[in-house]
Amino acid sequence: MSNTAPESRVPRGVRGGAGAWLRRAGGAAGQGRVGVRVFFVGGLISYRALFGWLSPWVFIPSLLVAPVFQILLFVYIGRSAALESDEFYVIGNGLQYASIPCVFAMTNIIAGERFQQTLGSILITPAPRLPLFVGRALPVVLNGFFVAAFGLVVGGLIVGIDVPASAYGPLALVTAVSALSCTGLGLLSAGLGLIVRETAVLSNVIFGILLVCTGANVPLDALPGWLSTAAQGLPFTHGIEAARLLADGAAFGEVARLVGSEGLIGIVYATAGYLLIRVLELHSRKHATLERA
Amino acid sequence: MNVVEAVDLRRTYKTTTGTIRRRSLEVEAVRGISFAIAEGELFGLLGPNGAGKTTTIKMLITLLIPTSGEARVLGHDVVEDARWVRERIGYVFGGDRGLYERLSAMDNLRYFAELYGVEPKGQRARIDELLELVGLKGREKERVEGYSRGMRQRLHIARGLLHDPPVVFLDEPTIGVDPVGARELRATIASLTASGKTVLLTTHYMFEADALCDRIAVIANGEIVAQGTPQELKAGVADGSVVEVEVFGVEERSVERLRQLAGVRAVTVEDQEQKQLLIVQTAPGLELTHAILSQLDGASVGRVSSREPTLEDAYVALVTAA
Repeated sequence: MSNTAPESRVPRGVRGGAGAWLRRAGGAAGQGRVGVRVFFVGGLISYRALFGWLSPWVFIPSLLVAPVFQILLFVYIGRSAALESDEFYVIGNGLQYASIPCVFAMTNIIAGERFQQTLGSILITPAPRLPLFVGRALPVVLNGFFVAAFGLVVGGLIVGIDVPASAYGPLALVTAVSALSCTGLGLLSAGLGLIVRETAVLSNVIFGILLVCTGANVPLDALPGWLSTAAQGLPFTHGIEAARLLADGAAFGEVARLVGSEGLIGIVYATAGYLLIRVLELHSRKHATLERA
Repeated sequence: MNVVEAVDLRRTYKTTTGTIRRRSLEVEAVRGISFAIAEGELFGLLGPNGAGKTTTIKMLITLLIPTSGEARVLGHDVVEDARWVRERIGYVFGGDRGLYERLSAMDNLRYFAELYGVEPKGQRARIDELLELVGLKGREKERVEGYSRGMRQRLHIARGLLHDPPVVFLDEPTIGVDPVGARELRATIASLTASGKTVLLTTHYMFEADALCDRIAVIANGEIVAQGTPQELKAGVADGSVVEVEVFGVEERSVERLRQLAGVRAVTVEDQEQKQLLIVQTAPGLELTHAILSQLDGASVGRVSSREPTLEDAYVALVTAA
């Protein structure tokens, strides 16, 4: 219909009728399949797109070497000051360091959309929002688990701590749940990252809070009462306690409640984070707030 | 049937300035615009920077809620039926933004194919088809961060067409693209309507709008100041003429005096390296060349010519008068 169009032939790519390539699988089942693919496939692709630490030159020093240094630092401080055991610091710091991938990555791969100016592109897609945003958490949890497990194993071998073989499986589970819990906090941080400009500052503050307040390095009973109480609502607090008990020979049943609390805290944070992102999306449609990167 | 309809659309932004003494400002970006686009039509939205073009598009693609008024795509309200509308529209950004730099073109397209729910079995074939369409076949595995602006722009078009939407919004798709690349993009845009798609195009380039658009709306200061076919818009200034004067070092007060001359409709100044080109639109039946030259005291004058008005002249006259 163009009046003086330079060329009016129809190339292969635009042929096919209106919306011919849109998945038409009807009803909730079709939408469900779309959601599953957005969760798994979309989550992984967006993780690769927005988490800039996946290069080996960044990943190895930042996520594998640095946690070992952190573990060693606190172990030697603990030894020289005759405070806690080596095991106390290896488990505390090994788990707590998962907050680097969990908080920084989760924040980057959602708030980073704003700074890459890709947020508008995804918000105008019909993709269901729950898998679109929460699906990005799965690679983060796996990465967090890997980093924590690496720190625990390597830190434990260097320092020389003995953990009963029967505790390996439960410890792996506690590590995974702790990574999940911290990723929940990361999702909330990601929502806040859509409001503030300096997401790295926010993530660093969160890291500091988790370093001091979760019992990773300072026993909870050494903290002021109010802080010790507040720490019960933080990721890692229950996970670290459960891991230490397991390493000391406790059965999983004895720490199941702690592991459950750790997971529940993560779900609460993740729910709050997702709701915040959705509220901000709706707010943005009204006030154009997310466009102002 | 009207595929896209805007009825008295308005959009106001609230911004704040200052840190301690915060002041709230209200900016009316779009002030009650109305237009309709028929099925298979290529409709152009023309206007200077800040005129409200992108805000209008953002309301139509569900990214912004209008402050008042209504917008419908394929008969569905863009606020009430946002998801339904999103499934049936494609949006092509202009410029560098909106792509994942660390991913390859293939992965960018795969990701958005998932978000648009393109059937997994057909995804690869569809992506190949689009890569071929936009001329990126063979380069699809390279990271976007290494792409030229033209390649990015072509990738934007491929992404906008992934789900074969019946309605496509193109926001300055050829901005910053070299002439050969822009020509290829225009051929692709023309092919969209040839396949039956309805297209809304915003552009700064008048020749582009003239060549591609069935109808054009000129928007200035958030309002539509003219609407019609390119021929109709040109006819609005066809009764006058245009005097072009090459000058070296013309002063602003001289240009201002020119604007005050009786019979002068609009004056624009184009900087061309060391010289400037004065484009003076005049009313019909007047010979103003001498009067124009007499106002350019102090400036060296080069070539002087007279010609028929173009669509660009019509645009300048409309925007200047707004």
